[in-house]
Amino acid sequence: MKSLKHITLVFITLIFVSAFMAFVTPQDQKVGEKWDVPEKYQKMENPYAGDASLKKIGKMLYSKHCKSCHGSKGLGNGSKAAQLETFPGDFSSSEFKKNSPGNLYYMTYVGRDEMKSFDKKISDEEDQWAVIMYIRSL
Amino acid sequence: MFAISVIGQETEKKKERPVRSMFESSILIDDQTSIIPLKNTLVMHIQHRFGLIKTNGASDLFGIYAASANTRMGLNYSILNNLSVGYGITRKNMYNDFQVKWAFLKQTRSGSIPLNLAVYANMAIDGRKKTAFGDDYEFINRLSYFTQLIAGRKFNEWFSMELSVSYSHFNAVPTEDIDVKGYEHSVFGAGGHMRFKFSPQSSIVILYSMPIFIEGMAENTDVLNTWSPNFGFGYEVATSTHAFQIFVTTANGILPQDVYMYNTSELSETEIRFGFNITRLWGF
Repeated sequence: MKSLKHITLVFITLIFVSAFMAFVTPQDQKVGEKWDVPEKYQKMENPYAGDASLKKIGKMLYSKHCKSCHGSKGLGNGSKAAQLETFPGDFSSSEFKKNSPGNLYYMTYVGRDEMKSFDKKISDEEDQWAVIMYIRSL
Repeated sequence: MFAISVIGQETEKKKERPVRSMFESSILIDDQTSIIPLKNTLVMHIQHRFGLIKTNGASDLFGIYAASANTRMGLNYSILNNLSVGYGITRKNMYNDFQVKWAFLKQTRSGSIPLNLAVYANMAIDGRKKTAFGDDYEFINRLSYFTQLIAGRKFNEWFSMELSVSYSHFNAVPTEDIDVKGYEHSVFGAGGHMRFKFSPQSSIVILYSMPIFIEGMAENTDVLNTWSPNFGFGYEVATSTHAFQIFVTTANGILPQDVYMYNTSELSETEIRFGFNITRLWGF
């Protein structure tokens, strides 16, 4: 019974510490420079455009590979985002939505600096485009 | 005509792609899965089994700080998309294991191949001091072997299952009276594990495996092995480069031939323990 009280005390302390930490703001992050996307990628077409069956696949892959930095809604507020030197970007912003599918393909599967290539982690072409379509839907 | 032929081939290729992530890791609790990460991927495994939950209760934090814990650390490398090799070292008996896995059939998205099929084999060297092997020490007494055939199927996005048959062999086993009373050198085994995926990253995983001792093939008239089945139940979370499994299990051997041959724990509240596996991937 005594040990149960101790465990309860530890849990309550943890909850308070977590709540306190939620108000700690991250250090200022720099905004990434404009991407220099080669023309070949800019004009790239999505061969799976309109395939609604890929929506769920895109969401699952996004959750596994992207969410920890980009956040569940693509606002750049994932659990690891604060550790990055560069703000991961806001996928819901009008500026971001101007990107063509090919631009996003280049950013995701060629990458640069902290945004490393996910070409090997998401290697199947259909899966790669499923993620791009999901990002564009955010 | 040529164009039509090319389109036809592409469609064919598209149909023959393997299903997406049947399991998240090449290991599941104490079992191997049929999964092999992509070619040129280095995998680090950390497998840990704590002490029994109920032996000391809260006084050793339900076995988490018990002295009887076992750990295996290992590295695997995918030479090909369907072939991996690995090495690991386990605290219990200081087993040094060398392993190979070949996934020779992969379930396709179209269903043209309905199953994953893989063979897994290892050879382990018992790394204890010579004195642990009695007076007639020979190096070959340290060796043990394990071979397994694994068949798996992803039924849908939320449910995958694998079944396996195996054969374990130890070159040397404890004996009280040769061919009369002692441990067996070999045993067959069968098992299965399944995954219920309930969110993009999270799953419930269950494992059951049992030694199959055939009395007609027994070497001893009085067999000392306990032949206890192994049971595991846990939670798995996977990210881009990690899979983390936390579970309750009965066996603490980690190395499969040790689990099949020497596990003595049954599924009861006094004989279960916590454990976890961490898988970390690096792509090259």
